[in-house]
Amino acid sequence: MSNSRERMLAAVRANKPAEVALPTVPDFWGDDSLERFSTVLAGIGGEVVRLDSLDALEATVHKLWPAAKLIASPLFPPTLAIDANTPTDVLADVDLAVLPVEIGVAENGAVWLPETNMLHRALPTVTQHLALVLDHRRLVATMHQAYGLLPEGPGGYGMFIAGPSKTADIEQSLVIGAHGARSLVVLVY
Amino acid sequence: MSYLTHSSRAEAFVLDHERTSWHDETLWFVRQKRDKAVYAVPEFQELRNLASSIKDHTLSRLDYYLEKFEAAAQANGVRVHWAADAEEHNKIVLDIIRARGATRVVKSKSMLTEECHLNPFLIQAGVEVIDTDLGERIIQMRDEPPSHIVLPAIHLKKEDVGETFFQHLGTAKGLTDPQQLTEAARQHLRAKFLAGEVALTGVNFAIAETGSVVVCTNEGNADLGASLAPVHVASMGIEKLIPRLSDLGVFTRLLARSATGQPVTTYTSHYTKPLPGREMHIIIVDNGRTQQLGRPDFRASLKCIRCGACMNTCPVYRRSGGHSYDFTVPGPIGSILSPNIDLKKHSTLPFASTLCGSCTDVCPVKIDIHTQLYKWRQIVSEANHLPTAKKIGLKFMGSLLASPTAFKLSGSLGRRALRLLPYGLTHNKTVNAWAIARELPEPPKQSFREWFAQNQPESKA
Repeated sequence: MSNSRERMLAAVRANKPAEVALPTVPDFWGDDSLERFSTVLAGIGGEVVRLDSLDALEATVHKLWPAAKLIASPLFPPTLAIDANTPTDVLADVDLAVLPVEIGVAENGAVWLPETNMLHRALPTVTQHLALVLDHRRLVATMHQAYGLLPEGPGGYGMFIAGPSKTADIEQSLVIGAHGARSLVVLVY
Repeated sequence: MSYLTHSSRAEAFVLDHERTSWHDETLWFVRQKRDKAVYAVPEFQELRNLASSIKDHTLSRLDYYLEKFEAAAQANGVRVHWAADAEEHNKIVLDIIRARGATRVVKSKSMLTEECHLNPFLIQAGVEVIDTDLGERIIQMRDEPPSHIVLPAIHLKKEDVGETFFQHLGTAKGLTDPQQLTEAARQHLRAKFLAGEVALTGVNFAIAETGSVVVCTNEGNADLGASLAPVHVASMGIEKLIPRLSDLGVFTRLLARSATGQPVTTYTSHYTKPLPGREMHIIIVDNGRTQQLGRPDFRASLKCIRCGACMNTCPVYRRSGGHSYDFTVPGPIGSILSPNIDLKKHSTLPFASTLCGSCTDVCPVKIDIHTQLYKWRQIVSEANHLPTAKKIGLKFMGSLLASPTAFKLSGSLGRRALRLLPYGLTHNKTVNAWAIARELPEPPKQSFREWFAQNQPESKA
């Protein structure tokens, strides 16, 4: 193994081209409005719902998902407690996860969900439906600003999520709900 | 040993006219979606320049970034492995699986593991390997290779998928509704995710400064696999490195827009540290890449981010299908990568192009694909791998075009011959391959030279 490491590095050193400079990436700004974010998210199968305040969250969740029985969330008393040690068969039954997100990106409808907000790493993808809660002051225009807000790095695990899970692998027909969440709503306060 | 040519393999695909047209139109539609997404970003061309420069820089200091990445990943508690070739890569994967006593492996899309033929190797060793990307699962059931790097089952119709699922998943015979077929696959694969012991993923980007790997999917299959299984193994080629986390701002804005016209993939997942009690492994693979790095004319092919835009736009790929290339990565980019691996076997691929340059125009990292196709042709010819008929034909045309007298004479002979000879002879498919699916043009009465001699402006006379 270490032998391959040395051979590969030696081959790279022998074969690499003359050094060229690393460019500085300008801070491309743009439209960071909630309108833009909502339009783009709707275009990729997601939905924005406005909350008057975070206090309205629990009632709104029950109103929007009346049929959801097992709801996991760190933001209000959940119907199902999930933590990093929750076994797989319990995770598999979650109907709805309501999780806080840190950044919203207007150009592509993505939101940043770090591991610390997930309860369990698999929860955002194993849940049948996903609701993500975003502070409207955390909206940025493009991915450049979004990564600029992560000076400490991405953490142990983190994801940008843009809309519900989808596939077009059968004849290019768009189907929402491939393996991950079947629907995605961003609740903006 | 002789190999089938690209055109002979394409013959089987083009037999079905309706399907060929559908394939052509569908991929062109994806290209149009790409255009719409690209034109909506005013700085898109600037982003392409930046992406190209970042990749050029990274390749020029690749040894430094590989070591930096390795050190950062190890500090995160990730085990880093180095594999010189496919065989070593596959052995490392099997060793990790065996060390856990595992037999159930879930895999998300990775062209590198396709390149290494990992699946048959693991299956032979008694490991159950389940491809979890829907398109990949479909072709795995059918025992076929992917025909496109982003849309692996694009060569199939929904009737084909319905029949495959009828046989393998027990869905109703004749079911062709994509929604219902996808739901059947969701249920089938969910059970596999929940039972997975080891998750294999590819890598879209590896960040040297943080030691993270980034995986982009629309289905969420990489995340489901890697976050449920106790062991995650990520396989990457050495060219996946980028220096900084902030560079992802550039690449995530380019990748999905170029690939499918989406503003970004549904999931852009950053894996940095394993949870306590769990394992994360990264295998860094060479398999011919350092050799390509040493070819000044072709090293830019290592900048590829595997978006597939060059396939979607290519008039040859769209009408010949991915399987006609007989290489893990088909289309224009595959035709400049494959000769590095086996020049003789893939000698016809650089010719599977009109050199129209559309691939170069859409490439998000500005690889000079059509120029490289042209340069590989010179190398194929010098290595004497051209088919005899092509060699003789090119020699003949070369001498003809080099002599004004011969050119003039042959033009006038050709025009006369086209007028006088019977159709059955001028369009004979054995003598004239051009006429297999085409009509020859109406021969003009005179050449441009003759016309010009008669019509010269008086001032120049």
